[in-house]
Amino acid sequence: MSQMTCKSLAIITLAGVIIQMIGLSLFVWGFFPVKPALTGVSGPESYRAPAFDSDENYGNISLPPHQLRSLYQDLSGIPPSFDRLILLVIDGLPAEFVLGKDGNPPRKAFMEAMPYTQSLLANGMAIGYHAKAAPPTVTMPRLKAMVSGAIGGFLDVAFNFNTQAMADDNLLGQFSSIGWKMVMHGDDTWLKLFPGLFTRHDGVSSFFVKDTIQVDQNVSRHLVDELSRDDWNLLILHYLGLDHVGHIGGRSSLLMAPKLAEMDEVVKMIHTSILTRENDQGWTLLVVVSDHGMTENGNHGGSSFEEADSLALFVGLRGHVSDYKSATQNTAQQVDIAPTLALLLGVPIPKNNVGVLIDETFDQLKDDHQLRALELNSWQLFRLLDAQISCLSCANISLNDFSDGQPSVTTECNDSLEKMFCCLYMNAAVLHSTWKSKKVSQSSSWEDYNSTVIAYHKFLKTASEWLSSRATDKPVDLLAFGVTAMLLSCLVLLSLTLHMGREINLIEKLHHYHSNNDMQMCFLDEIFVLGVILILVISMASSSMVEEEHYIWHFMSSTLFLILLRKTVQLLPAQNSLSKGTKNFKFQMCSVFVLLISGRILRGCHQGGVNWTHLPDISKWLENSGGVHVKTVQLVSGVSVVILGFCFLSLLSSKKNVILVVGFNFLVSGLLVLVHIVKYQENAFARSSYGATISAQMIYAVLGSTTVGTAVLLPWFMPIQISKVGSSRDIYSSISVPSDVKDKSLLMALKDSLYVIGWAYIFSWCLLQLLLQQPINAMPILLLLVQILTSLLHFSYSGLHHKEWVEISTLYFLGMAGHFALGNSNSLATIDVAGAFIGISSHSTLLSGVLMLIITYASPLLVLFALVVYMSVKGCLVTQNVNSGHLLQTMLGFPCLVPLTLNSILLTAYTIVLLLMRNHLFVWSVFSPKYLYVCATSVCIYIGIFVVAATGTYTYLVLGKRKIMQYIELLQKNQELVVPAAFHRISFKNMAALKHCFLLSMIVAFSLSSFQMSMAARNLLQAPAGPLPTLPPMPKVALPPMPSIPTLPQATLPPLPTLPNQPTLPKLPTLPPMPAAPKVTLPPLPSNPIPTTIPSIPNIPSTIPTIPFLSPPPSN
Amino acid sequence: MVKASTTENPSQSVSPMQTFFIHLICGVGLAVGLWVAHNFYSISLISNPSRTLRLIWVTMCPLVILFYSCFRKNPEKCSYLKAVIRGVLALPIGALVNALGAIALGAPVGIQYFPKTVNWSLLMSLFTFVPAASVFGSSWEDWRRIFAHTKPNASVDYMICLPAHGAVIGAWFGAWPMPLDWERPWQEWPICVSYGAMAGYLITMVLSFVLVLARGRQQHPKAD
Repeated sequence: MSQMTCKSLAIITLAGVIIQMIGLSLFVWGFFPVKPALTGVSGPESYRAPAFDSDENYGNISLPPHQLRSLYQDLSGIPPSFDRLILLVIDGLPAEFVLGKDGNPPRKAFMEAMPYTQSLLANGMAIGYHAKAAPPTVTMPRLKAMVSGAIGGFLDVAFNFNTQAMADDNLLGQFSSIGWKMVMHGDDTWLKLFPGLFTRHDGVSSFFVKDTIQVDQNVSRHLVDELSRDDWNLLILHYLGLDHVGHIGGRSSLLMAPKLAEMDEVVKMIHTSILTRENDQGWTLLVVVSDHGMTENGNHGGSSFEEADSLALFVGLRGHVSDYKSATQNTAQQVDIAPTLALLLGVPIPKNNVGVLIDETFDQLKDDHQLRALELNSWQLFRLLDAQISCLSCANISLNDFSDGQPSVTTECNDSLEKMFCCLYMNAAVLHSTWKSKKVSQSSSWEDYNSTVIAYHKFLKTASEWLSSRATDKPVDLLAFGVTAMLLSCLVLLSLTLHMGREINLIEKLHHYHSNNDMQMCFLDEIFVLGVILILVISMASSSMVEEEHYIWHFMSSTLFLILLRKTVQLLPAQNSLSKGTKNFKFQMCSVFVLLISGRILRGCHQGGVNWTHLPDISKWLENSGGVHVKTVQLVSGVSVVILGFCFLSLLSSKKNVILVVGFNFLVSGLLVLVHIVKYQENAFARSSYGATISAQMIYAVLGSTTVGTAVLLPWFMPIQISKVGSSRDIYSSISVPSDVKDKSLLMALKDSLYVIGWAYIFSWCLLQLLLQQPINAMPILLLLVQILTSLLHFSYSGLHHKEWVEISTLYFLGMAGHFALGNSNSLATIDVAGAFIGISSHSTLLSGVLMLIITYASPLLVLFALVVYMSVKGCLVTQNVNSGHLLQTMLGFPCLVPLTLNSILLTAYTIVLLLMRNHLFVWSVFSPKYLYVCATSVCIYIGIFVVAATGTYTYLVLGKRKIMQYIELLQKNQELVVPAAFHRISFKNMAALKHCFLLSMIVAFSLSSFQMSMAARNLLQAPAGPLPTLPPMPKVALPPMPSIPTLPQATLPPLPTLPNQPTLPKLPTLPPMPAAPKVTLPPLPSNPIPTTIPSIPNIPSTIPTIPFLSPPPSN
Repeated sequence: MVKASTTENPSQSVSPMQTFFIHLICGVGLAVGLWVAHNFYSISLISNPSRTLRLIWVTMCPLVILFYSCFRKNPEKCSYLKAVIRGVLALPIGALVNALGAIALGAPVGIQYFPKTVNWSLLMSLFTFVPAASVFGSSWEDWRRIFAHTKPNASVDYMICLPAHGAVIGAWFGAWPMPLDWERPWQEWPICVSYGAMAGYLITMVLSFVLVLARGRQQHPKAD
């Protein structure tokens, strides 16, 4: 059997990983298309029938706005219904709150909270719809859908944190081309989507999720002024507060009814002003929409009814008397808003719209105008169809069919796709023209009209549905290539692992590590691990298994532990031979029990998934029992983590000095984290204050520098015990092999340093998680740590009884089970967004993304870091007769290869599953989010394995070099040995290189730590100094008149990065912490109107646009 | 048979007919329990799992203990009564072990689940622990051989080892449909797990009979 060298192994592994990355990115690129869109903007040609010669081009887009406006009016043939539009967006408002559900009116508390809106609905002054939003139900894609009528690709979610200007044809662009003046107050997503389009705007950030009051005050304060002005045509108001209320307390939050009442006030204010000013400024239409709904817990992102149930409420339509009863069941699509508004306001329908106009909103128009509106919408959709279906030519079915006056209407349209659309379209067109001709001859009947409307609707509905589902069009070759690459890399990694396994087996056989007895044992654990992989792959094909994946991981890992227990019992020596081994085995048994128990508690922490989330679990129980208990549990867990960490470190008893130094450094960071928990995590308010941000940054810096410092410097200082030098032959042979490992001392030093470095990784990671995770998750973090430490101990005691790959797979399963135990699921809604902003003082997509990854993948990464310790505990058992590369290979081989292989199998299998499921009903709501998770897991594995491999290699190289140096020093001391000249050369070269390496690593470590420290220091110093040069008087002028908050610390004023010379108001990223006062006053006042509780607010708005964190803590 | 017991095999050797008889009795006991629940109390595992499980284990308990005690190890040293008492004692202990195992694997904990878990684990104890306790008593080596190594040697080993493993593995597989969203009443704990356990038990009893039969055939020519 050919032995692979270490280098070639590494290169092949790397190649496999790179192939996998390429394949994965190609697949993602192909499967989540950036939707196929028509370029350009609808112009006057949209009022012409789609010509079959399709060359007509007006080319007069460059008309001045008012001319274009009148041109549109002339061409459309519909008198403009409205001159002004107020778009009131209430973020996250489920339509159910306003309209009720399934024929039932909404909840009584909500009805009473919105008296004005309900009266509008009851009087027929308004008409409301359940507007079904497409997943992903997050703000930006939904806003895009509303203004463009197009359904975006799934990956728009990824851009939700990185909003960028909207390039496609949309309503706002159309309005601007006819010279409308637009004003926007509210969510700054609008400003990012449409930069420079608004004449006035006041953006508030959805960055501060805990703020439920100020964020809306900042919108409402402009309302009176804006309503009295007449210099705008479009006013967009985007209220974020309700969404924030949902995020904090869910649907049944105590703050919900007051928030709805506030929104009702806004509607009332706007509507009364519309009514009073109706005649001087033309007709104004008020449209109240929400971008998405929310689940019972207040989350959103998926496609359940609760999340997709957004509102579309049209207020101010004339001559419409709606039946209130039916309003609860009025349904539409969210994309329907775009064509409806376009037609009502007299602009062309955006090019990529797939929506259908909402019929009832046109009831005020005459019959011919209504038909014209339907016709325009049909033309637009027909153009889109024409662009998407290459051979959609209706020329064959010529218009001559109806020229004889007796059209062959109502032909059944069951042909192929193209023909069906053609046929439906022609049917409608023919009926329409017949109706027109009959109308001229005064013979048109109600029936003709009706059948025309029906025919149009049939075409519109069919086309709209087909176009919506069309967003899943995929380039086949790209997908095939991606899947092939992934399969290839999977095979490469798999064969490498098998190769490693064979090699190790050979060595073990050579050294007779297995007695004959052991060899006979049935390898139940190995079979089971393989079975788990198979089961996982199979279960991925079931949507409910994907939703409830946490059950599988827990079930599998627990079963694996039980099998380990069985194996331990098997290995138990017979009772009569009471050797000291029995104690060892007893310890192993106990460790399995600890694993099982902590695993079960972890499983009970979060009732994840979809179907059984309502069942009681430990986190709900803790939350309900009050903040004090949560805090106590959190503190106890934090202290236990620290204690446990140090106990674990002290297991390495041989190197006292090293332990003292490293331990002390980490004690500092541990204490910092504990202090942070005590001081800042009391409530949501303090958690995001400025002091907390600084403290978190300090912790990042200290943890980062200590960990990196330990990893880089430790190998240089780890004492290597110098054994007595044997004969000079040894030394000569050691020259031929650069770093010989025949001496055990090197191995010991390697093990010890890896142990300490791995411990540093684990410990600092746990501390970081204690800082970042929700307070509820502190106990699970502790349990995870316990599990990992116990399993490491178990494996270290069990020696060679388990196969190495089985142990690493066990750790991997443990990590995945822990991933779900921390409250994660395969739905995008469970990502902890709030935690991703801890310690960040300004909005940074990259940093937030990194933090989010750290929080979400806490458990798998912890396991990967634990592999460093695992290497030290297990990896270097082969000590004889091997060269240096081989040692590295046996040490690093399995810990790196096994996770990579497991992950690549799962990734490849799931990719294929996703391909097979591409037409499944749940592909966008279940399988695609899961795929995003799988991709993120792969990224985590890459990162973790890189860290493991880099640490192992670096430590090994450094120690090897030092070892040689020691030999040389010894040689120079013992002058009796004759050292050949050549050897001198080599040794000096070596020494020089060694010194360089050492210097370099010192520089890296120090620069890194000093950089981080200086960052922290700068942030600290910035606190008082930052705002002064830019806007000295501001803090004092703005803040003092707050009577309700007596003690206002001046030391912690916010940094104001970009301030003066802007026409608009400056932004304040953070507000000085206002300690306990609002927290005490706010939450227990569900009945009071919120605004009255903070009397001093009116003073602030003139200077500060956003004052975050005035919110009360989550109320349960 | 008396002669056989005096030979080097300490436990009584079991003929295939006896195996068949015992397994038949156990299977019939199970069926009778279900039948009584269905016809006399008009309940089933789905409508009232804890009562049905109780009926089943109460029906099976005397059968299992009394019949397995006949095949106790070292019949000279150990009286029949002692074997029966061992079996009775093993019932709650085995139930505890089974319940803990089930909870470790994710069985729900809570007051409303308590009677279900208790009755289920008592039944599982009858499937797994009680026969072994009646036959082997507290002989650690035998327990380890049967449950840790799964190396049955004698016919009676097959009779204990296989159904016990079958019941556990059946219960393990029976838990699989639980997280699926089919919204069937039998997906509740411990209904489908019980079904799985019973199915596994019954199947492995047949298997055990077949193996004992095959063993008898193999040994027969040797004796000649």
